Amino acid sequence: MFPEIFETRPIRLWLDNGLEWIVIHWGDQFEAAAMPLLWLLNSIEAGLLAIPWWLIIAFFTGLAYLATRRWPLPTVVLVSLIFLGVMELWEDAIKTMALMIAATITAIVVSLPIGIAMARSEILRRVVTPILDLMQTMPSFVYLIPTVMIFGPGKIPALLATIIYAAPPLVRLTDLGIRQVASNVLEAAQAFGASPRQRLFGVQIPLALPTILAGINQTTMMALAMVVIASMIGAGGLGYQVLQGIGRLEVSRGILAGLGIVVLAIIFDRITQAFGKQLQAQIGVTGERS
Amino acid sequence: MSSTVQKVLAGVTLAAGLVGFTSTAQAAACDTDKKIDIAEMSWPSAAALAHIHAKILGDGFGCDVEVVAGDTVPTSSSMLAKGKPALAPELWTGSIVDIWSKAESEGKVASLGAAISDGAVEGWWIPKYVADANPGLKSADDLANFAELFADPEDSSKGRFYSCPPGWACEITNANLFKAHGLEETFNLFSPGSGGNLDAAINRAFVKKDPIAFYYWGPTSLMGKYDMVKLEMPAHDPEIFACNGSADCANPGKTDWPTPPVIKGVAAWLPAEAPVVSDYISKAALTNVEVSGLLSWGSENKASAEETAENFLKTQEAVWADWVPADVADKVKASLN
Repeated sequence: MFPEIFETRPIRLWLDNGLEWIVIHWGDQFEAAAMPLLWLLNSIEAGLLAIPWWLIIAFFTGLAYLATRRWPLPTVVLVSLIFLGVMELWEDAIKTMALMIAATITAIVVSLPIGIAMARSEILRRVVTPILDLMQTMPSFVYLIPTVMIFGPGKIPALLATIIYAAPPLVRLTDLGIRQVASNVLEAAQAFGASPRQRLFGVQIPLALPTILAGINQTTMMALAMVVIASMIGAGGLGYQVLQGIGRLEVSRGILAGLGIVVLAIIFDRITQAFGKQLQAQIGVTGERS
Repeated sequence: MSSTVQKVLAGVTLAAGLVGFTSTAQAAACDTDKKIDIAEMSWPSAAALAHIHAKILGDGFGCDVEVVAGDTVPTSSSMLAKGKPALAPELWTGSIVDIWSKAESEGKVASLGAAISDGAVEGWWIPKYVADANPGLKSADDLANFAELFADPEDSSKGRFYSCPPGWACEITNANLFKAHGLEETFNLFSPGSGGNLDAAINRAFVKKDPIAFYYWGPTSLMGKYDMVKLEMPAHDPEIFACNGSADCANPGKTDWPTPPVIKGVAAWLPAEAPVVSDYISKAALTNVEVSGLLSWGSENKASAEETAENFLKTQEAVWADWVPADVADKVKASLN
């Protein structure tokens, strides 16, 4: 046994009382600050639910065709979405999709600037990398309950938890993508008199796009991986169905909702990957030398 | 319901009879080689009880014990299907009446008496400060008029009532009571998704002195910590309540919970094969106040279930010494130092 060096209970008491203090004095402010997120999520959800089902199916099937220009993927997408509808999982799937899309959009807005800044500053990278490690390895239940205490139960903490878990790969891959742009390409741009801003937006970001898109793909997948945990703090959707399946020992409900999540993952993964490949092919022809 | 009670009583007397027959012949040592796995439920009182039993059975009687994680439905299902875990120290059978009484009559499981000797409480609650500020809010029927007070932050047109997480039997009962009280028009039935989330939500409301209407039960540390008032409901009617407990209930009615049956559930092999151990288990019961005290100490001192159990054994010897023979009590005491 490791010897007891000092009493740790006061530290834990202090942490718990500190959280309580934040809840009492800043709870309302935090809740108000998170309202835009709730609004984003609610409008995506309401929007998706207002669109007729066949239009959504047609949209994703068309998108899959545009991404691949071949028929296998659109067929898979079509069958998967019809599966969701037939199994009465449509509404839950839409709610889950809304949570995932809202988390991804927020993650993109936050991660891209951070990733770009990291690529340009060694110091910032050294500071941010351990934070990203922490975000990815900290068991989510540890920060779920404090977020519930601060923001109130429901969709906000669910969305925040999903963002915390899903954003790091996008930050990392944005940073990587920009640093990977070959130095001779940058030198050439400089030789033509491009300012740093022009180099960033005209050369680095376009050339890093395939890597960034891979990051977005990772983010969508990790957001989907969080849906069951998110529903433990009050988010609805497929995750909640899985939870009910487990809780009530209804194996069938759990399996079907679980398959529903898999179906969503396949659709979003394959479509974003296909677009990434397309983009990579274009850049390969027009710019990148290796 | 009365038939269930009779069965429970029958089970107890049967077990007690068996015990009386053999315990004189044997010394106070563990009378089974099988591992006794004790279900540690996800809520604190059951977790502390599990560790108390584990300490006494393991260190006192010298049994091979293991504390395993559990929850009402999975634990009881596995107990009646496989005889594992052997002991659920705080099993709320109200939610699993059908499967439990069937398994009991088939001789797969048994009840060794009440876990909380003076009974537990279960129902719909509001904080005391809300009750004081709103004298018109006394019963579940009044709730419909107070939707604005309990406004749902995600849908301000309605109120929010905090129900049970999925899988808890009260989830279905709450949904039916919700319908019966005509709350669907004015309230959203909010599912917290997990017990931790329900606790966090209640804690948050009490800390901020916000209004909140919620389902809860006792003895729990939260109930000991905060002043809450139970919303009145019509007296318990077993028939209506049974219907409310089913997801397919056609006509949900208004009725209160019964004093919830909270038992020490065991797999049938335990009373059959280990009368000494079973005798101890049937004697070991705490009152509501004792359990609440245990839990308050635990939550104030940030103690784990195991530490809470150890503290109980150290400080409340007068309570538990009666459960066991003197030599076992000595061994338990020796193990604590």
